[in-house]
Amino acid sequence: MEEKLIDFIIDEFLDDPDTEITADTKLISTGMIDSFSLVSLQSFIEQEFGKKIPAPRITAESFDTVRQMINVINQF
Amino acid sequence: MAYAEQTRLYYQNLLQDIDEQGLFKNERIICDRQGAEIQVQYPAGSELKKLINMCSNNYLGLSSHPDVIAAAHQALDHRGYGLSSVRFICGTQDIHKELEARLSRFLETEDTILFSSCFDANAAVFETLLEADDIMLSDRLVHASIIDGMRLAKAQHDTFKHSDMKHLQKKLEMYRDRPRKIIITDGVFSMDGDIAKLDEIVALAEEYDAMVFVDDSHATGFMGKQGKGVHELCKVLGKVDIITTTFGKALGGASGGCASGRKELVALLRQRGRPYLFSNTLAPTITMTTLKVLDLLEAAPERRNKLASNTKWWRTALSEAGFILVDGDSPIVPIMLYDAKLAQAFAQDLYAEGVFAVGFFFPVVAKGQARIRTQLSAAHEQEHLERALAAFIKIGKKYDILGKNKAELLNIEV
Repeated sequence: MEEKLIDFIIDEFLDDPDTEITADTKLISTGMIDSFSLVSLQSFIEQEFGKKIPAPRITAESFDTVRQMINVINQF
Repeated sequence: MAYAEQTRLYYQNLLQDIDEQGLFKNERIICDRQGAEIQVQYPAGSELKKLINMCSNNYLGLSSHPDVIAAAHQALDHRGYGLSSVRFICGTQDIHKELEARLSRFLETEDTILFSSCFDANAAVFETLLEADDIMLSDRLVHASIIDGMRLAKAQHDTFKHSDMKHLQKKLEMYRDRPRKIIITDGVFSMDGDIAKLDEIVALAEEYDAMVFVDDSHATGFMGKQGKGVHELCKVLGKVDIITTTFGKALGGASGGCASGRKELVALLRQRGRPYLFSNTLAPTITMTTLKVLDLLEAAPERRNKLASNTKWWRTALSEAGFILVDGDSPIVPIMLYDAKLAQAFAQDLYAEGVFAVGFFFPVVAKGQARIRTQLSAAHEQEHLERALAAFIKIGKKYDILGKNKAELLNIEV
């Protein structure tokens, strides 16, 4: 799941495909991706993992790193 | 007292945070009509300073045009100051219907509905026209009013990378089964000044049975041969389902806007568009004067031609001087400095040199993408542009940035 999320984030949001991110890279609070892009992540998670995460659970704080995203996803 | 001390403190702290982040916006007081040169007081209370204006949306120079001002006086005499009503109670005059029909002819659409602003038009469209199963696919750089409009809608929302048609197609494929799909874009993007690939967007929309929405606020009146907008420039007249635009930029610059497009969509907006139903009618002065502005536009192409030649001269001169520009043909010309501190210092120096232009940096634009945004106008004479250029070069030399690339600019000490 971690690898799939990282690949998706690089492909979907980052201009430079060589950018390296880890499960703990802060993405939103550092401005690497903007909070408005969270909708794409929500759709991807639903399609890829079959988990429908309610929008209120997807926030700039709860989705700031891939590790945090996985924590939220695992609750559903 | 309802406004308790802790409530006051809360708001004071919020304001302080904004200030500490360097995001506090101070307004420059203009003691003049809008134009190529303006008298500005900044900070408030200081002495007036005459500046060359390189940051207004007065693209055609009509904001203070004598014919436009005369038309506004006439409108005031003929149809009064206000209507004290929304459109559907007692706020629709003959001139409102005339302007709607006239805009439909000008934009080559089926029907048009007026709003108090384009912000209101964008706030109305998505909520009114879409249901929960529908999908909105927006370019990542669309204007804030579209983002707010989409937030009001029940429909699901996703984005595609800026002007990336392959990514858009991937998303259209992904949401192929949705009952209604709408592709949402600006015509000209306000931060980069680049133009939507509307011909390719329309082709994809036709392939996937999607609707197309364009906010053409930074294009109506001057993009395309007859100034109809990006849909004319990209040769897709009649193929865009909804165009929203403003009268607050090239078309006289007062305020007001419209949504124009398929007649069923416009009719539904008239029945259910909340900013239309529950907000005052467009003031008679603006309504009648916009009709006059359209007369001026259709009678003579000189202003469009002058804007185009000013834009071409400015882009060429800045590039030759060694500045990095965002490529494009629109009168929005961003000068890339990349570094936020450099952009702030540069804008301040421009002000001291008598040029009014604004620096943009994160979070308005992405990190490492700081820039000075300049906007051309048909009101600019050659001497304005030459003086502004001289100021840009002087400041460019001061920071030793002329001819430097992005990596070098990011290492400049300010």
